[in-house]
Amino acid sequence: MTATPAPTVTATLPSAGTSRRRGRRPGRAGVSGATRRQQARLGVLLVAPAVALMLVFLVFPVLNSVYYVFVDFDGLDTTPPWVGLGNLTELAQDSQMWAAARNNLIWIVVGTIGPLVLGLGLALLLWGVRRGSTFYRVVFFLPYVLPQVAVGVVWGWIYAPTRGWLNRGLEAVGLDGLTRGWLGDPSTALYAVLGTAVWTATGFVFVIILSALRNVDNQQVEAATLDGAGYLQRLRHVVLPQIMPVFLMVTALTLIGGFAVFDIIFVMTGGGPANATEVLGTYAYSNAFQLSRISYGTTLALVVTALAVPVAVWLDRLQRRASIEERGA
Amino acid sequence: MSRPRRGHASGRPGVGRTLALGLLALITVFPVILVVSTTLKSNQDVRANPFGLFSSFSLENLETAWTVGNFDDYLLNSILLCVPSTLIVVVLSTMAGYAFARLPFPGRTVAFYVVVFGLLVPFFAYMVPLYFQMRSMGLLDSLLGVNLVLATTQLSFGAWFMRAFFSDLPGELEQAARMDGASEWQLFLRIMVPLVTSGMGALAVFTFLQQWNNFLVPLLYMPGGEYRPLTLGLYLFIGGRSVDIGPLAAGTLITILPVVVLYVVLQRQVTQGFLSGAVKG
Repeated sequence: MTATPAPTVTATLPSAGTSRRRGRRPGRAGVSGATRRQQARLGVLLVAPAVALMLVFLVFPVLNSVYYVFVDFDGLDTTPPWVGLGNLTELAQDSQMWAAARNNLIWIVVGTIGPLVLGLGLALLLWGVRRGSTFYRVVFFLPYVLPQVAVGVVWGWIYAPTRGWLNRGLEAVGLDGLTRGWLGDPSTALYAVLGTAVWTATGFVFVIILSALRNVDNQQVEAATLDGAGYLQRLRHVVLPQIMPVFLMVTALTLIGGFAVFDIIFVMTGGGPANATEVLGTYAYSNAFQLSRISYGTTLALVVTALAVPVAVWLDRLQRRASIEERGA
Repeated sequence: MSRPRRGHASGRPGVGRTLALGLLALITVFPVILVVSTTLKSNQDVRANPFGLFSSFSLENLETAWTVGNFDDYLLNSILLCVPSTLIVVVLSTMAGYAFARLPFPGRTVAFYVVVFGLLVPFFAYMVPLYFQMRSMGLLDSLLGVNLVLATTQLSFGAWFMRAFFSDLPGELEQAARMDGASEWQLFLRIMVPLVTSGMGALAVFTFLQQWNNFLVPLLYMPGGEYRPLTLGLYLFIGGRSVDIGPLAAGTLITILPVVVLYVVLQRQVTQGFLSGAVKG
């Protein structure tokens, strides 16, 4: 921190003590007209590059996305034909889209519940442990920071049909009958990739829940213990209600991530075998970039985004409420 | 504190808890151990016993990945894509974050909505039109173009993140500085920016990791392959069906090593970056 002379102005009354300055205005106390002009100039200057980048590389393509939905763009035509709601009606009748949506739903459900349960369990296990807690936090969060491509490669070996670690482990405990090429078998491929995703996301849930647990009122827990409440009772009636806002927040975040899943599936199975792991994201990609069905692919990608909007709104409400409570406390 | 505490309240875990945590930690890092082990085996051993742990020692896989597998180029390209885009994000976010937090200027609300719009809209929503836009701008396969796209994907978060840091600074600071005759620009650069360097650092680390791990942006906008980063190189390595596991492991290790080192050394900043989106409102 740089040393700054401590001003004598009270924090609650920012306008106090500035009466020397002329040109005071209500609201912006103590700031002269010249200063305000300077501030306005600097403000515009400082945000201009960020706004320019956002307009060119985000806002404009988003608007274009919406435009693509209503035309049939093939990637070359400068004036593509208008098709109105054609792309959307096609989407509603596309059985492959519905299969992908079904997989996406399974992905969202399992891929949310898995990390939530495991992350909560891990956090409870580590709660109150001080010795080595940083070590465990670093280890359990590690999968979340790794590039998905690399994660996909390694888990490919774990799921390998011959001498993969999963099959070896099953053989070691006498479950030879279950061994298979996990990613090559349409009946297991989706769940195998999900297993990898759960491994990745658990650490994220864990770290957030653990930080929430650190704020749990220990006296209440101890009081409940003295009243003879068992571990599960304490958990249900004392601990969980206190971490519920954070728990819901992390639920919403994991859900949102589940809608637009792409990287890990694309790398591990590419949507196969026999479309068994096709989700809306990979289906959108293959339509737009492999089948040159650009408008249709864009429509799919926008639908993926739109589906997550209600969850995002819910998340926003949760966050607002949490930050208000934090300030009130 | 001499008061008796029971169960989870004690700082030292019991034996059962330690065993459980240790086992879970082992399962968690196992895939990473597998990468290191496979990389360091001799190629012959990898063929005979592909997934056995640490059954031989050799650096030939690293050498193959580096020379034949082009991972030296991929590494350089990753740096060329991550360092400039991270710098852009940190500088522009600091500038915009300050303006949004502390400066009144015309159009502030509109500008703020434009910048944080990216927090609502995932890359997925505009990746397709952006491809054709990049093509017509001549920015496909260009370091400049892909750096700008990468920067834009993180800019909303960055500006929002830095704005929170500037908002937390006391208002008396600027009044004192103005009385000393500092211009608005000096106030920003000499007084305010030095006070948020910890935030800038956390943002830099977090952004760098995100760019390093980014797969979709180079996949889409680097179709020619001249500036392929590690993630894309690794993906194409698996795509070339005659998968040679030894060099593949080495390539994976080269890809994750910078991430792991950066994360372990600066874990507090990294975690802060990842969590701020979740916990702060």
